[in-house]
Amino acid sequence: MLIFISVAFHAVRQPTRAHTDMTLFFGTLAFVILASRIATVGGGTPPPLLIAVEVAVLMATPYILLRLVDDFTHVRALVKRVAEFGLAVGIVATFAALPELPRPVILYVVGYFFVVSIYCAIAFIRSARNARGVTRRRMEAISLGSILLGTDLLVVGLTPLAPDDSRAIFQALGQLLGLSSAVAYYVGFAPPPILRRAWQEPELRSFLARAASLPRLPTTLDIVRELERGAANSTGTAARIGLWQEDTSKLRFWEDDDAIVDLEPGTHFAGRAFELQRPIFSADPIRDNPDSAASYRSRNIGAVLATPITAGERRLGVLAFSAARAPIFAVSDIELAGLLADQAAVVLESRVLIDHATRVRAREEAARLKEDFLSAAAHDLKTPLTTVVAQAEFLERRAVREPTAPADLAGIQRIVRESKRLAGLVGDLLDATRLEQSGLVGEREPVDLATLAQEICAHDTVDRSICRVEASAPVVGAYDRRRVEQLLQNLVENARKYSPDLTPIKIKVWQEDSEARVAVQDSGIGIPAADLPRIFERFSRASNVDDKRFHGMGLGLFICRGIVEEHGGRIWVESEVGKGSTFHVALPIADGRRLN
Amino acid sequence: MLVVDDDTSILDTVSSILSGEGYDVMSAASGQEALAAVSRKQPVLILLDMRMPVMDGWAVARALREQGSRVPIVVMTAAESAKRWADEVGAEGYLAKPFGLDELLATVERFRDHGGRAN
Repeated sequence: MLIFISVAFHAVRQPTRAHTDMTLFFGTLAFVILASRIATVGGGTPPPLLIAVEVAVLMATPYILLRLVDDFTHVRALVKRVAEFGLAVGIVATFAALPELPRPVILYVVGYFFVVSIYCAIAFIRSARNARGVTRRRMEAISLGSILLGTDLLVVGLTPLAPDDSRAIFQALGQLLGLSSAVAYYVGFAPPPILRRAWQEPELRSFLARAASLPRLPTTLDIVRELERGAANSTGTAARIGLWQEDTSKLRFWEDDDAIVDLEPGTHFAGRAFELQRPIFSADPIRDNPDSAASYRSRNIGAVLATPITAGERRLGVLAFSAARAPIFAVSDIELAGLLADQAAVVLESRVLIDHATRVRAREEAARLKEDFLSAAAHDLKTPLTTVVAQAEFLERRAVREPTAPADLAGIQRIVRESKRLAGLVGDLLDATRLEQSGLVGEREPVDLATLAQEICAHDTVDRSICRVEASAPVVGAYDRRRVEQLLQNLVENARKYSPDLTPIKIKVWQEDSEARVAVQDSGIGIPAADLPRIFERFSRASNVDDKRFHGMGLGLFICRGIVEEHGGRIWVESEVGKGSTFHVALPIADGRRLN
Repeated sequence: MLVVDDDTSILDTVSSILSGEGYDVMSAASGQEALAAVSRKQPVLILLDMRMPVMDGWAVARALREQGSRVPIVVMTAAESAKRWADEVGAEGYLAKPFGLDELLATVERFRDHGGRAN
């Protein structure tokens, strides 16, 4: 009776179909209980008409329950019509059979009650499994109520058939089940605010706890997904976030398959909530926004709540909730949605700040790299130039002063050596520039990488280094000979530069599938794992490279990668600090065969 | 006179020029070699490269000052900050690479016949 009064009070305040159905539902239960109480107190047998009315009301109960299923999820029209017909037949049969209810009629009534209740229970269990958060718990409570009610009716229906001495137990059990079911229904259909908050609390708490770490997720979409999940769990509805795109002036949503949907501000509920900067609730979106009726129907959306996401003056986007039916939402959900939107704003705004800081850092890093490069380039160019200039001037002065003196061979050799070094550096600088503009690789011809590696190795094997080639057969492809030579030369020079004297450098050349493979292996200082991803970038040098010991502009590997990629190949490195590095090159070979 | 540079071409070039001009020249290819040379024979001037592996020009200058040596130093460097670096190590002057013959000889000339101090 108390539950009935409470629900009726709600229905008067908010006369919606769901509230009316709830009132009717608890009303029928209250009536049945009240009537049976009066009959018991009055003593004797109740008048047949009262029994018939009681039976009719009792039969209406599962039908109203079916309407409630429809209020919260969806019941097919055919099912509703069949249930209405079954109810009419039952009521007519009951009144027609007066004054005495024959057993088939009792069985029909009990059967009807049982079948419809089971149908409702299954529908609620199914929607509980698809729901989340507070809605899931509500649906679970309603499912439990339906199961208890079905069992109750079974017990009540069987009571007259039970032996006389155990009838009292059956009656007590029936009443207990009835009361439990009513409480479960009440908790599910119209959870008191305090219970609703208690159900929402764990979801909300976990959402808030995770919020702090969200801005650091890899992409904005990852953040959006997490916020949507948290918002959905907290409200027990489906949640979507649309982000305002400054450049296109549209709200961007991401579907489940990450497909992008752009929305004009002012259109749909989300666009209107964004434009008006206030929450918008629709208990009947098909009526309120008929243009999208088909979409709402196909996605089973019967209620929408949209609320703007705003950080101070900055309009960041919109948070939109949708549910199959309006009663899924509670009045307090508008407030909750606002709270979640504020939290989303904090997270998204933090993300913007982090992105900004990252960009600034990247710019600073780029500027620093450029500065480092300029300083290294200046140093590297000036060092050989010092010898060339000073030595040449000295030779000139000597030639003027003592024209007959023998040539200073050592001085001339120094000039030649340092001029070549200078030429190499200038070449690297020009190559790096050319690589970024027009490309390096020119005319191709058949090149045997095994022979090329041997030539380079022979040239490189001097008193302080050992170079070996491992190749069992020629590996021929169509390459720019000069550039591939430069590539191998660079890799071998690097290997030698970063290895202790007299440790061997190994070049392996082989063919694998349709690729020519080269591996240059050293036992040098290696490259720290943290530097590996950037090692082929321009100006990049490993952090364990002593700038003072290993002069270099950090262009060598950048040029190598350029040469390899322009040939359609790949270059990568395996390395361990202190053990050495192996640079791998894979070049396509198919073109070479054709040339041959 | 002591020439210190890890780049052997520069080291050989500067050393041979200065010997050719009649200076008594020692050469060192590292900071450690430089300190060893100074301990053998006190030079009248040190031409000191700054960027060297393991023991750089700053470390050499510091070690010399700590030993109480007052040998004048002229810094040789390709860096833009040559003057600042010279000040940092209390050098008497600097040679910015690439320097020409005249520049080298003029700088060294100032220290000829001076018992270790410039005027």
